[in-house]
Amino acid sequence: MKLLRPGILFICVFALFAIGSETTAKVSDIEIVVSLNRDTIGLEEQVILQITVNSSEQNLPAPRLPTLPMFKVYSQGRSSNISITNGVVSATLTYRYIFTPQRAGTFPIENISIVHKNKRFTGNSVELTVLNQGVATPKKLEGSARDSRGNSRDYFLEAAVDKKNPYVGQQVTLTLKFYIAVQNYGSPELSEPTMTGFWSEVIGNKPVYFQRINNRRYKVSERKYALFPTQTGELTIGRAMISATIATRRNTRDPYSMFGNVFGRGKDITVRSDPVTVNVKSLPTKKKPKNFTGTVGKFSITASADKRKVEVNQPVTVLFKITGVGNIKSVAEPAMPDLADFRIYRASSSENTSRVNDKLGGTKIYEEVFIPGRPGEMTIPSISYNYFDPESRKYKTIKTRPIKISVIKPEGYVAAPQSPFQSNNMSIDNEARDIRYIKTDLGDTQPIGQVLIFRPIYIAVNSLPLAILAGLIVIRKRREKLQANVGYARSRSALRMARKRLSKARKLSNSETVVDFYAELNSALVSYMADKLNISPHGLTTDKVRELLSEREASEELIADIINVIQQCDYARYAPSTIEQEDIDESLKTVEKVMVGIEGVKFD
Amino acid sequence: MTNKILTILLVTLVCASAAAGQDDIFQTGVKYYQESNYDDAIRMFSKIEKSGIESAALYYNLGNAYFKSGDLGRAVLYYHRAKRLGPGDADIINNLKFASQFSKVQMVGVQLNPIEAFLKDTVGSYQLSALGWLFSLFFIIFIILLIMKYGLQFRFTGIDAVIISILCLTIFAAGLTSFKYRVDYLDRRAVILAPEAPVYSGPSSNSELELRGAPGLVVELLRESGDYYHVLLENKRRGWIKKDLVAEI
Repeated sequence: MKLLRPGILFICVFALFAIGSETTAKVSDIEIVVSLNRDTIGLEEQVILQITVNSSEQNLPAPRLPTLPMFKVYSQGRSSNISITNGVVSATLTYRYIFTPQRAGTFPIENISIVHKNKRFTGNSVELTVLNQGVATPKKLEGSARDSRGNSRDYFLEAAVDKKNPYVGQQVTLTLKFYIAVQNYGSPELSEPTMTGFWSEVIGNKPVYFQRINNRRYKVSERKYALFPTQTGELTIGRAMISATIATRRNTRDPYSMFGNVFGRGKDITVRSDPVTVNVKSLPTKKKPKNFTGTVGKFSITASADKRKVEVNQPVTVLFKITGVGNIKSVAEPAMPDLADFRIYRASSSENTSRVNDKLGGTKIYEEVFIPGRPGEMTIPSISYNYFDPESRKYKTIKTRPIKISVIKPEGYVAAPQSPFQSNNMSIDNEARDIRYIKTDLGDTQPIGQVLIFRPIYIAVNSLPLAILAGLIVIRKRREKLQANVGYARSRSALRMARKRLSKARKLSNSETVVDFYAELNSALVSYMADKLNISPHGLTTDKVRELLSEREASEELIADIINVIQQCDYARYAPSTIEQEDIDESLKTVEKVMVGIEGVKFD
Repeated sequence: MTNKILTILLVTLVCASAAAGQDDIFQTGVKYYQESNYDDAIRMFSKIEKSGIESAALYYNLGNAYFKSGDLGRAVLYYHRAKRLGPGDADIINNLKFASQFSKVQMVGVQLNPIEAFLKDTVGSYQLSALGWLFSLFFIIFIILLIMKYGLQFRFTGIDAVIISILCLTIFAAGLTSFKYRVDYLDRRAVILAPEAPVYSGPSSNSELELRGAPGLVVELLRESGDYYHVLLENKRRGWIKKDLVAEI
């Protein structure tokens, strides 16, 4: 258990998958897959047995292991993964066991089973060879673990493929193994190899394990890729590179050396794998079916209709489900025959990939819509699909079952000439079997490169509330100031009040209402000054006016004008008969001029 | 005044007739496409693009027409442009994915920054304008609350908590919007168009060959030097490629 504690992890989150060459045993809807991470080990090594149970049931008992006296067996726990695909729940339970051999020999491990609802489900058998030596290390690996001078390497990176001569489209599994025998800091960073000429997918990373090579214990991190060659000939998988920081060796004379590995400075290292060359064969031309679309692997096909009884011109959706092992993403659509009674178009396609024992596979579903054009009993015929099976090196044909459809006449049905399917927004592109339909509506247009967030309308929409907020805050502050400071409020309203009074005085500016005119004029001027100076208008004598305005540095001319006007107002009120219309107009002008002058004076 | 109204009416009329004209050209392109005349369909759709107008449907149709005419590089280029304007459109996503499979060079992406990957996933299916309006919505609600509290003196229990919550949402939406803007407009990406597109270790054809690029491969443009772009590939390797072999998305 201690040995298998995770140490180094690659930069990604890993899924757990086992390696091995075993077959799958499927009984009913419970599938048990047994695999070993190595098929040959030495007496001092350990092996991990993984049991994967795929089922639609979620509460299954743990699998029963047979009695294995030649091994010590420890459970390493269980993990589960529940997924819902097309409304179907499927659960995958994974059990892991560590096997420590007690003696050498070749041992089959079989009859791993689950009993559920009085039925027994048994998994595939695997075989483990235990060599009568400490470790079982291939010679090539022992060579890789030594440098050119024969010294043991601290770390090295190995890249290997499971097939050197695959067919085009056949899966090649690339395994990268990083061996390190010294302590490292942090997570090593991987630069993926270039895979020109391959369609690639990462299968995942294995949990870190240990392996003894040349009497040194290496920690091994393993990452696997599924590669599908897309062209023939010699293809090269480039070098992968790992950058890591390893602990430098301790200086034994250093009294603090016990902390050396904890606090010591690391050394940055880079290690590259050798390029791997694969010679890709083309598919045989002999007996190649006519409508072969390049699908390579091992597949089965089924067809199912969403309804069996429809009205004329109503759609029936038929799901063509292609399931198996191979590059599921490149599985082409089954060729639909020309049917006189149906209009056919592709609605959608979806795929669900899975990995079993490092083999990529899954299900691809093509949804085709069949629209019957006339009433009657009709049949969607058997659809055949061809693929190349690289294991048997033969082209194979699989077929769906025919589907019977009852097409009924709707009320008021009149047979119409066939016309291409049209809807408001899209037309079905009859030519395209792969890409989806073109659009017949130009949609929302905009000038090229225009970005909403820089458009004036967008800036205005966002600025307007901000401006309203700023305005309201200013108004509120002003109101608060007016409420708190009477002098300020009087000063602010002085001019407005004076204008009102002047306007009233202007209406009285004729010789018949001289007294009223001058009374109003006097009141306008005196009240205005009192408001500006924040004092009572009563008792604002000419001397007081002179004194207060002088303090505020008003010009002598202005002060003289004000006093003259006030005196003239007093005089006119007591001797109105001496006042001419010219005097009235002159007084009015002088007051207006004086007020303009006072506005220029600084008041507190 | 009458003159002004007449001018406005005239401008509106000209704009409307221009839009109608673009739609006619678009429909002609669609007709050519349906007749499998992809070259003429491309010519029609490109005419609209050259007039300075863009739309997700226009770019999508251009992508389809290029795919059908066998120009994988330009097909992928236009699907990417369409995806920027209509990121949630299932047809665009499907066709981009489908077409990309045909590129002779497939890269295995290495995700170094999980936060960036999460943000890209989060904003991936939304338009920049949708995120922009989402930000505006929160921002305006935030300002209205401030107006209520400070402008109109209208307060209720918990107004501060509501203001802070809306402020957080506003900041979050602003973050998403700016991230989306960065991804869509500031991060420069390009698609390889040329059938032979060597990627070198330096900005010269005398440098070591790093990779033979193929049409449809997407690269990130880091900087430029003379006739070369310094590019970052999906597997986080870097190299130099001639500018005329790629087109910016």
